[in-house]
Amino acid sequence: MSYRWVDHTAELELEIEASDEREVLEEAVRALAELLGVKGPGELHRPVAVTAADRPALLAAWIEELAFLAESEGFVATGIVELTLGDDHLHAAVAGMLDAPPPLVKAVTYHRLAFEASGEGYVARVVLDV
Amino acid sequence: MSEARRLENELWELPVGTVPGMRVPARVFADPELLAAIEQDRSLEQLANVATLPGIVDAALAMPDIHQGYGFPVGGVAATDAADGVISPGGVGYDINCGVRLLTLPIEFDELADRREALVHELSRRVPVGTGGKGAREGLRGAKLERVLSLGPRALLDDLGIGSAEELHFTESGGCLEGADPAAVSPRARERGAGQIGTLGSGNHFLELQRVSDVYDEEAANAFGLRRGQVTVLIHSGSRGLGHQVCTDFVKRMDARLGHYGFELPDRQLSCAPIDSPEGRDYLRAMAAAANFAWANRATLAHRVRESVGSVLGRDVADNTRQVYDVAHNVAKLEQHAGGTVCVHRKGATRAFPPGHPEIPPEYTQAGQPVFIPGSMGTASYVLAGRRGAMERSFGTTCHGAGRRMSRTAVRKAVDGGQLRRQLEADGIVVRALSARGLAEEAPEAYKDVDRVVEIVERAGLAARVVRLRPVGVVKG
Repeated sequence: MSYRWVDHTAELELEIEASDEREVLEEAVRALAELLGVKGPGELHRPVAVTAADRPALLAAWIEELAFLAESEGFVATGIVELTLGDDHLHAAVAGMLDAPPPLVKAVTYHRLAFEASGEGYVARVVLDV
Repeated sequence: MSEARRLENELWELPVGTVPGMRVPARVFADPELLAAIEQDRSLEQLANVATLPGIVDAALAMPDIHQGYGFPVGGVAATDAADGVISPGGVGYDINCGVRLLTLPIEFDELADRREALVHELSRRVPVGTGGKGAREGLRGAKLERVLSLGPRALLDDLGIGSAEELHFTESGGCLEGADPAAVSPRARERGAGQIGTLGSGNHFLELQRVSDVYDEEAANAFGLRRGQVTVLIHSGSRGLGHQVCTDFVKRMDARLGHYGFELPDRQLSCAPIDSPEGRDYLRAMAAAANFAWANRATLAHRVRESVGSVLGRDVADNTRQVYDVAHNVAKLEQHAGGTVCVHRKGATRAFPPGHPEIPPEYTQAGQPVFIPGSMGTASYVLAGRRGAMERSFGTTCHGAGRRMSRTAVRKAVDGGQLRRQLEADGIVVRALSARGLAEEAPEAYKDVDRVVEIVERAGLAARVVRLRPVGVVKG
């Protein structure tokens, strides 16, 4: 289970490898928290619900929702408490903390978007407009 | 992507077949040296992907400042048939109607003298910067926001006395795209944008104090009210979070309908819908509203510039500070080209209509439409005028800037922000930046050579140089 940030000319790309789909979503939470400069477990909880056409779009919607919570409320998610994952939707409760995160993420793009099975696990990729 | 073949001195082509599904060729304006720089990233592959869009006509085009973007390259132009073509939100970009406004002050650089630092400081004090940039005094919600989305800066003038009729006259499309519908803009987009009107933003957005260093075309410069030595202010900003959310909403919505329309695309960020479809019509309504918001944003920024000028240089100087023009470089418009109606997507590309075009203000009809090309801080910017070649070869379009060549991380590793600030100050440029990190990311080394980019578009007959502007102060997010 891991993630890494890859830098391009005008974008920031997040690559994730995980053993299952939930871990992909958890890694996305951790990566975003790192990007926003927040560490440690959070005590506050927030519900998150998104729908999308398929798995890659669901990942994009998930990160977009987390980024919006940070931009609008200053709430930075650091982990997943509950997760229900359907074919075209997810419902979750995320743990996190209130902070003053820099509003770095302007948009979550569909450029080179991926979330798919690979070998015995999953790989995902999402490009952020920052 | 080394298959580019030279068609003319400044024009290269990737033929149909370079990537599967291309409907037309892809063409880029460049010289061999710029082409070599362009080939360092994936922008030509992205341009070839644009050529797969349903209904695209003639060619997918790129200006010499092209660089890698999301789906569409930055510096890309795509015209689609209005009757059976598509509209692609990614072809406009996230920052809908990101653009540039140029103001002239009625004083010479020498007259500014020791008040220059005070003026830059006052500009930085009055203009909120940064990605969020909350706290704008003229933050608009409810009915006032609805009017801005519908009418653009006209609503600010009528409701708040911000701007002037003259400014509207000297703004592309009069600062208002027809067909804007606030109802097409999502609640989240409104929430993200409502408090951001009158804010600069971050990244490559800036406010620059300049002097006219060179005049290439005296007649056009006179028409634009520009003379050697004059002080100018260049404003570069867009539709802030509101525009980003409109793009996000419609990329997602159109992506989910690609199967319905039978579209297969090489990149999901190219998601699109027929212009005459529910998704296409709604996007055009929302995009127009976001474009109007962006013009209102730049009008408010210009208002703050005038307040700053009045505070430091006196009321008379502020009252005689005038707007040369305001141009968009991220927008899609229905236009007439070669006898037909097409939807011209300009993503990081500027409309450049030639002399005599009916959409140019009468005062500029002999000179051609003004075009502003910001370079990087520390180098130079240009005022160009549109030329007939643009109508013949690029759907009335030219470049929009120098074009990025290094990633933000790469330039941060190569450039120390504090050292860059000292270097700029030593070169006579007063700097006010939110952070040394942000300053480093926009270092001159991160960009291509703006002089070369402008030479290419001039030699290609798309636009001609009018004046060159040298920075003497910069405010950055």
